[in-house]
Amino acid sequence: MDTQSYLPVEPGVGMEENFLSLDDILLSHERLPIRTECRFPRLGYLERSTDAQDIPEGTKMELPLWLSKGLYEKKRRVLSVELPKVYREGWRTVFNADPNVVDLHKMGPYYYGLGSQMLHFDSPENPEIAQTLLQTFVGRFRRNMDSSQNAYNEDTSALVERLDSTCTLK
Amino acid sequence: MDPSEVEFLAEKEMVKIIPNFSLDKIYLIGGDLGPFNPGLPVDVPVWLALNLKQRQKCRIVPPAWMDVEKLEEMRELERKEDTFSPVPSPYYMELTKVLLNHASDNIPKADEIRTLVKDIWDTRIAKLRLSADSFISQLEAHAKLDNLTLMEINTIRAFLLDSLNCMYKLRSNLQPGSSKKQFTDY
Repeated sequence: MDTQSYLPVEPGVGMEENFLSLDDILLSHERLPIRTECRFPRLGYLERSTDAQDIPEGTKMELPLWLSKGLYEKKRRVLSVELPKVYREGWRTVFNADPNVVDLHKMGPYYYGLGSQMLHFDSPENPEIAQTLLQTFVGRFRRNMDSSQNAYNEDTSALVERLDSTCTLK
Repeated sequence: MDPSEVEFLAEKEMVKIIPNFSLDKIYLIGGDLGPFNPGLPVDVPVWLALNLKQRQKCRIVPPAWMDVEKLEEMRELERKEDTFSPVPSPYYMELTKVLLNHASDNIPKADEIRTLVKDIWDTRIAKLRLSADSFISQLEAHAKLDNLTLMEINTIRAFLLDSLNCMYKLRSNLQPGSSKKQFTDY
């Protein structure tokens, strides 16, 4: 029984993010590959690979999630977001085949959270992404449950490394 | 809930002891505890029994179910059935641990009893894990499990609730258009 003077705010449900949740704040720092649909004058310093004064239309660059979400509009006047590798077709088949072997921490420690946020960007593959997220979680559940309820008499850091940060909280 | 809290609740169970001192009836808030006469069995709560035993003022009589043959039958029944069978006592695990730790001299065949109870516990926990696994993997909406004890529920409660929370979040992704912005005040 522990008393806390600070009650942590948990991450948001589904596609929502809680403004005050530390996990959501860290999550929104993940970078996404995007393609600009209009010119960004005098913002050339954001894109380190060229020395141009401003960012021309059609540049491929990486922006953090919080910025992409803010600039994204349905009519696509500002930018269009591409799916990161892990949420694309290739990796989705890997997850559907066997969720247990994948090293989720290497894929970006916020696989589930970022996946839920990607659904904001109206990609045509949205239903499949949502389905894959759920199936991966369900598939990994058994092994996570076994590991969390039994104390191994050996070093578990190899197991823990492969977990997403949602799971390491348990 | 901590396992130590469950153990605390288990200590309310009654057990028979044979005191070696005499005392009049004592009137406690929870109930009366009958007059203590040396050599005559009396029912007391486990917490009092343990205290008296540690002060060497009594001898603890093992409960009726704590017997090798009965536990063996229970273990076979548990292994045969797919569902949970009725338990000898709602706190069988805690009582076994506590009584065998403090009063193993009063209980015949203590080691065998310990092994048998552990076997029963392992079988039940395995069934519980299987049940939780199929519940999650088939994405079912509700389940009913009979004859579970508090200690077993306690082992799985935290993990299952957290997982169901995560699953709820992931499932709400599947319903587009149902996510309206809700601003909660902190």
